[in-house]
Amino acid sequence: MARMTRRQMLKTATVAAAATTSPWWLVKTSHAQRAKKIVFWHVPNFTPLADELQKQQVYEFAKQAGVKEGEVEYATVANEQFNAKLAAAIEAGNPPDVTRLYESNVQFYASGGHLLDVHDLVEKMRREPKGIFESAMASVLVKGRAMGVPLAVNPWPVHARMDLLEQAKLEYPKTWDEFIETSKKIQSPPRLFAFGMCLGPVEDTTDNVMNLLWCYGGKMVEADNKTVVMASKENEAGVKVIEAMFKTHKIIPPGALSWDNSGNNKAYQSKQAAFVMNPSSIYAYLDGNDKDLQKVTGLMPVPAGPKGTVNQIDTWAYGAFKKTPYPELAKGLLDYFMTPANYDRIIQSTGGRWVPVYKRLFDSPFWRERPAFQHFIKMAETGVPVSYAGSPTPAAGEVLNTHVIPKMIQRVLVDNWEAAKALDECHKRIVEIYARNARG
Amino acid sequence: MRTVSGGRRALKWIGNTLLALMLVWTLVPFYWMIATSLKKDKEIYGFEATLVPRQPTLQNYVRLFDKTPFVKYLRNSTIVAVGNTLASLAFATLGAYALARLRFRGRGLIARGLVFTYLVPPALLFIPLFAVMSALRLVDTHHGLVLTYLSFTVPFCTWLLMGYFRSVPIELEEAALVDGCTRLGSLFRVILPMSLPALAVVAFFAFTQSWNEFLYANVFVNSVEVRTVTTGLTLFIVEDVFFWGPMMGASFLSALPPLLLYLVFQRWVVKGLTLGGVKG
Repeated sequence: MARMTRRQMLKTATVAAAATTSPWWLVKTSHAQRAKKIVFWHVPNFTPLADELQKQQVYEFAKQAGVKEGEVEYATVANEQFNAKLAAAIEAGNPPDVTRLYESNVQFYASGGHLLDVHDLVEKMRREPKGIFESAMASVLVKGRAMGVPLAVNPWPVHARMDLLEQAKLEYPKTWDEFIETSKKIQSPPRLFAFGMCLGPVEDTTDNVMNLLWCYGGKMVEADNKTVVMASKENEAGVKVIEAMFKTHKIIPPGALSWDNSGNNKAYQSKQAAFVMNPSSIYAYLDGNDKDLQKVTGLMPVPAGPKGTVNQIDTWAYGAFKKTPYPELAKGLLDYFMTPANYDRIIQSTGGRWVPVYKRLFDSPFWRERPAFQHFIKMAETGVPVSYAGSPTPAAGEVLNTHVIPKMIQRVLVDNWEAAKALDECHKRIVEIYARNARG
Repeated sequence: MRTVSGGRRALKWIGNTLLALMLVWTLVPFYWMIATSLKKDKEIYGFEATLVPRQPTLQNYVRLFDKTPFVKYLRNSTIVAVGNTLASLAFATLGAYALARLRFRGRGLIARGLVFTYLVPPALLFIPLFAVMSALRLVDTHHGLVLTYLSFTVPFCTWLLMGYFRSVPIELEEAALVDGCTRLGSLFRVILPMSLPALAVVAFFAFTQSWNEFLYANVFVNSVEVRTVTTGLTLFIVEDVFFWGPMMGASFLSALPPLLLYLVFQRWVVKGLTLGGVKG
């Protein structure tokens, strides 16, 4: 190899230093160079009207705040792309100013120090007449401060084919035992299975399984967010009920083991399942695509187990990112969105997909006059997050995203493990996740 | 003789059967896409999967063009893919010529580096690239996307053309130089006319890569005005509900441009690939 002169060595060293440090320098400067004053990432709704209204409100606010139209970036980000896109934007130091965050994401990004404190805005919402559903606060409170603005409470009702119950002259079942008996009477497999319970390696399975286990007194973690209680007698009893529904009573379609998150939606929408536990996305879909099926669909509470009825809710929130060069504008936009009059317009345009966080908005005819929504207030008031009895912490988010509970139920249904053994394995895995997250 | 001929016939028969199977394997997804795009929602979600639409309808296409910005997505994909193809051809041609014909220090290293660059997975690069693009204010622009795509099309195209240029007899070029041609003149007048099949392959590669790219388009683009088809398709999934009809219609239409391009340039593409294989 030829010898380098001192000048060549200096040149090479300078280039190498510039090349290795430029990514950090670029990350640091990228946000400061931003031309836009408001950057809002919008996640699409079910109805184009809701999307349009939201866009309108962003520009209305900008106008009021003296921001020119060209200084507003309104981006639509599909659900499927959202997490990867947001992670990249945060890494690159260029997140949006405001966006919608799902359940444990508020806790996750707040714990990383990315979110603005919006406690004052949430306190203002709480002071509205009748206040807000306090059940929504679990997902946004971090060390006693609201780091996100609760946007909608989503109950997970049982979408039920009331016409089939009527034909069989049966009432909607009040308990899981009744549910099984009713299911056996109304189903006619393989065309129609009674219970479209999601059992694939996806998030909806965790939601569906945990919801049933709660009714049997089970839970994943105690309220201290530290003590994992997955390997309990109560959870074992619940898992055995699911096992019986699948193997003995055969009221769950065998294909449910490989469903993705849309599996239960498809089963209900194609009239191949009489009952499914899901947020009202199915109901909202039917509103625009199958009015006949929507008319005979009831949004019912989950049947009770020995410990009563427990309904799941998940909470969506708006988050504002600390990186914004214009924090006042970001918080101002959130305030504008959540002004009850503006907020109600969006809520009603979603056709029932978003359930308002303001209690008093339930007084409107939209919610009062539709029988399908009669149970929603109670569900919104008493609902619990999937991480119950704990909060939607980053650890709980990891349990959900890594499908630990779906793996447990598949051990029982596919590998024929005893419920207790599968729960033990699941318990250990969740303990690991919580311990790792506690270490930070 | 009869045995040999019989054996050949059997081999031919097996070969044809395999080809027919592969044809079915390739075409069925296309057919399914088209058939689904012509069905109503009730039929798509029906208990029985129907091979032929019972009541064919164009309502999904009407919805696609009337109620979604699909035409904008197509326009954006075309701008980005054509822009990237032209830029890739220009950079790769000059780069490949330099590496194939000129003598300079580090030539071997650069040539090997091209292959290594191409092998780095985009999943590792999208965050640093996003930082660079943000700093240069190129996020959410067509030219930003074109520049990003050059990072994976130029190395491969250069490497491919380099092999091809080396197979062109140097004597032809030397004769041109003796006759007074410049380096660039000999490239454009001698080498490129003889390398048209290779250029067709390179163009086809660059076009399809940028047309089908998803990750960078997903991360670097926010607005409808710049969004490409691949990322536009995901907007037909809202939460856990799939709008299959319009999604299949959009998928079918977006698969057409690369397909048509291949059909038009098929002869050159096949020639370029096979010649490159022997000479490169």
